[in-house]
Amino acid sequence: MNGLQLEQILIDGFAISALYALGAVGFTLMFGVSGVLNLAHGGIMLVAALVGWWAAGELGLGVYGGTLVGILAGILAAYLTYFVVVRPIQRSRKIPKEETEIFVLTGTLLWGIMIQGLLAFIFSDNPVTMRPLIGGVATLGGVRVPWNEIMIAVLCWLVIGLLWLLINRTPVGKSMLAASINPRGLTLLGFDLSKIYLLVWSIYGVLAGGAGVLLASFLGVGTPNAGQLTASAFSIVVLGGLGSVSGSLIAAFVVGYLETLTAYLVAPTLRPIPALLLLVIVVYLRPQGLLGRR
Amino acid sequence: MPLGLSAYVLGVLTVAYYFGVFSMAWDLLFGFAGEVNFGPTFLIGLGAYTAAILDNHGWPIVLCVLCGTIVAVIGGGLLALPALRLRGPYFGLVTLVAVLLLQNAIVIFAAVTGGEIGMTVPNVISADAKVNYWFALGFMAISAVILYGLSRSAIGLILQASGQDAIEAAALGFNVTKHKLAAFCISAFFSGLAGALLVLYMGAASVGTIVDISIGVQIIIAAVLGGRRTILGGALGAVILIGASEVLRPLGQLNTFVVSAFALLVILFFPGGMLGSVLRAGERE
Amino acid sequence: MIDVKQAATRCAAAAAMLGLLTTATAVPAAEPPIKIGVIGEASAVAGASITKAAQMAADDINAHGGVNGRQVEVVIYDDHSSAADAVRAFQRAANEDKVSAVVASYISEVALAIIPWSARLHMPWITPGAATTDISKAVHDNYDQNKYTFHGWLTSAFIAQSICDFEHDTIVRDFHAKSTVVMSEDAAWTKPLDERFLSCLPPAGLKVLDHIRFNPDTTDFTPIFNKIEGEHPDVITTGISHVGVQPTVQWHDQHVPIAMVGQSSQATTSTFWKDTNGNAEGVVTASAAAPGVAITPNTIPFTQAYQKKYGDTPAYCGYTTYDEIHIIADAIKRAGSTDPDKIVAEMEKTKYVGTVGTMEFYPKGDQYAHALKYGPGLVTGVVIQWQNGKQVTVWPRDKANAKIEFPAFIKSPH
Repeated sequence: MNGLQLEQILIDGFAISALYALGAVGFTLMFGVSGVLNLAHGGIMLVAALVGWWAAGELGLGVYGGTLVGILAGILAAYLTYFVVVRPIQRSRKIPKEETEIFVLTGTLLWGIMIQGLLAFIFSDNPVTMRPLIGGVATLGGVRVPWNEIMIAVLCWLVIGLLWLLINRTPVGKSMLAASINPRGLTLLGFDLSKIYLLVWSIYGVLAGGAGVLLASFLGVGTPNAGQLTASAFSIVVLGGLGSVSGSLIAAFVVGYLETLTAYLVAPTLRPIPALLLLVIVVYLRPQGLLGRR
Repeated sequence: MPLGLSAYVLGVLTVAYYFGVFSMAWDLLFGFAGEVNFGPTFLIGLGAYTAAILDNHGWPIVLCVLCGTIVAVIGGGLLALPALRLRGPYFGLVTLVAVLLLQNAIVIFAAVTGGEIGMTVPNVISADAKVNYWFALGFMAISAVILYGLSRSAIGLILQASGQDAIEAAALGFNVTKHKLAAFCISAFFSGLAGALLVLYMGAASVGTIVDISIGVQIIIAAVLGGRRTILGGALGAVILIGASEVLRPLGQLNTFVVSAFALLVILFFPGGMLGSVLRAGERE
Repeated sequence: MIDVKQAATRCAAAAAMLGLLTTATAVPAAEPPIKIGVIGEASAVAGASITKAAQMAADDINAHGGVNGRQVEVVIYDDHSSAADAVRAFQRAANEDKVSAVVASYISEVALAIIPWSARLHMPWITPGAATTDISKAVHDNYDQNKYTFHGWLTSAFIAQSICDFEHDTIVRDFHAKSTVVMSEDAAWTKPLDERFLSCLPPAGLKVLDHIRFNPDTTDFTPIFNKIEGEHPDVITTGISHVGVQPTVQWHDQHVPIAMVGQSSQATTSTFWKDTNGNAEGVVTASAAAPGVAITPNTIPFTQAYQKKYGDTPAYCGYTTYDEIHIIADAIKRAGSTDPDKIVAEMEKTKYVGTVGTMEFYPKGDQYAHALKYGPGLVTGVVIQWQNGKQVTVWPRDKANAKIEFPAFIKSPH
């Protein structure tokens, strides 16, 4: 491995890891605050990506208009998921409380299949790509990097930074944090939990929608990817420790770089294997994930 | 023809019966032992692919099935290892990864496995629709009796207790580890056996029909639809799920959407599943 | 994408499936129609092309008097591109709807799963698009059982051969390219493809510097492109189908300075330009036929009629499906019956001038038994390039309607 290759790996791995991180962070936040593992995650990312692509091209709104419409579609899909699937399960009197988690898993799984089927019906199952947010190619120390790739990495971190500010520096964020630690205590203090949950789903919609649109812009997506997207977010979140936002960030970078390293230095055919093996080993040695609470 | 059904209906039901066994075996692990298991197709795939590969090497069918089942049980033992340490979603992830690794291995070792497009299996159980139908029905019935019996025996009760509160169950003096390991091996036995028989019926094995996560999802949905912790519900759910997608075939590409929506409604309004509501109502009295 | 016209054709298709709509016909419906099953996924561009082209072929045959006084009716099934689903559809077609033959799927996995069922149910069928050599191998190895299977498109070995021939005729001769890197997805269909590439590229004049296979789930192609660039080949020879949009867009965005030619199945579809936002400019791929190119006198009339009816150009398996419904109908006509063994015997004698060339099948005993014959005067396929949002044909040279042009960022070959 020479210096140039090292630089390539560093830059390339950084962009893909940042995208993984953005895709996973909403997923982990949702679990942390409301205990929901949303297996329709990939479906929601797809809604944003495909609607954004459609608005940008077919509706003629351009890249930025399309991005905005895509994220709005992501938020809408998140709300629908909450009101049609998750809330009815949480409030159902027929479902024993200790089984809510399992029912949410199955319910969102079915919901994800429905989203995927409907999107394939409307948009066909061809993968699509958004036009780059900015065109052109930069040369960083001898390595060619599209400006779009740099922009996407910056945007991912910007959004994650804003999320950190929101959680740690605003009263709303603090009430969310409190809800994740002790929901009952919060209700006793007079907070309306359902409002907090609604807020979490809104933030989740923005994060998943944004990740979907950026993914469409950077790598391209199609309806057959839904399962893969959910599985990769789920893996990263569990590896990082369920509910731990910083754990997910670290895990995203571990997975992203491991895949890139394998593709560069071992063989492109084996790209996903080392990350999968690492997942099993880490979870086995540290059952609560990298930064998880037991 | 049995019951006056056409060969086509028999063919659909034959597959549904094998899926019924998959769902029942999954229910034993998930419903009773409480393990979030996304990986039924890991065990099925091991059984199916072992049988398919040996069949291509000209082994007698009985040996193919036997070896497939043994490999699946070994796989079940391996999967039980993390299950004894991990809980909930963390174990769920391991099962998911197990499927993904198996899928990747099949593609990488394409020379032996045929890769992602799969391989044909030259020697099958029978080419006759009626024979296959009765064989599958008999196999499902025997599996149902054994699995149901186990679930109602001491093992089932201990598993259920440990699924709900492992520490308490251990404190009561039950060897939870031993019982869990047993549950994994039994589930793997039936999954692998049914997987091997399925490819020897279909005459072909491929990732998309045996191992893919979407197949696992179908099995899970069938079990939940029929009613978790009922064992027999898995069989009922599989027949309904596969039957419904055939009945709705005229809808064309949207039939998956409609079937999923139907299953979601059942989960929302009858969480006990189709059998669960009936059985549990009976138990309460 | 979601336009009214498409919605209308969908409704019509649904209505036809429910039997509410009978095809207008010149034949008096005295005898029951000859049914042909057609299996494809409507959500996939290629799959939708199969069912649409089949319907057109049936309409044409009926307008010309049908087959032995009977009309042809196509029965359409959606398989969601799943092998398990396709097998159930195949059983339904054979046992419930009593079709006489089936045209099914362009996916190798699906085709392999159907073979044992065609043997059991004695149902002649043909795949208009799968590429694996395992299909004809099954016919060759076990002819008596598997003779009902026909492979109605070039096997991947011949696809590779056509690409070698193309590269020899243009990239080597006109652009003086001397070396290449083979880049293909790690999949069963690319095994015979790559094998043939490695053996036919050197005689075509291209030294193979490297052979890179990658995981079909790859989304980030930067490492692969970087590696290839470091080896300084004059051209990249591709073998991709599962991926297509992603490597193309990244190739363009990252300004990889080397041209990509070869088999890129997604690039053969008409929506590829829109799916890649025009990043397809300059991409070269092998295909069955292309709009505006008269491979035979039948090509252009079919393309135009298809475009008029569906507002879209057919995918490669649309052309072959259209031809193969005719081949089946002709075989039934010659056999004078729908007896499966007689249909097979007549299909083996096929010599049909279709839209993709003169179609004949390799005989029993051949290594590629029941696959389409490849060669000049038979079927060679065409090689197309995306230029300014349109697919133009650049090979074979006597059919070409444009010269190869690469975008500005391509430094090699030039």
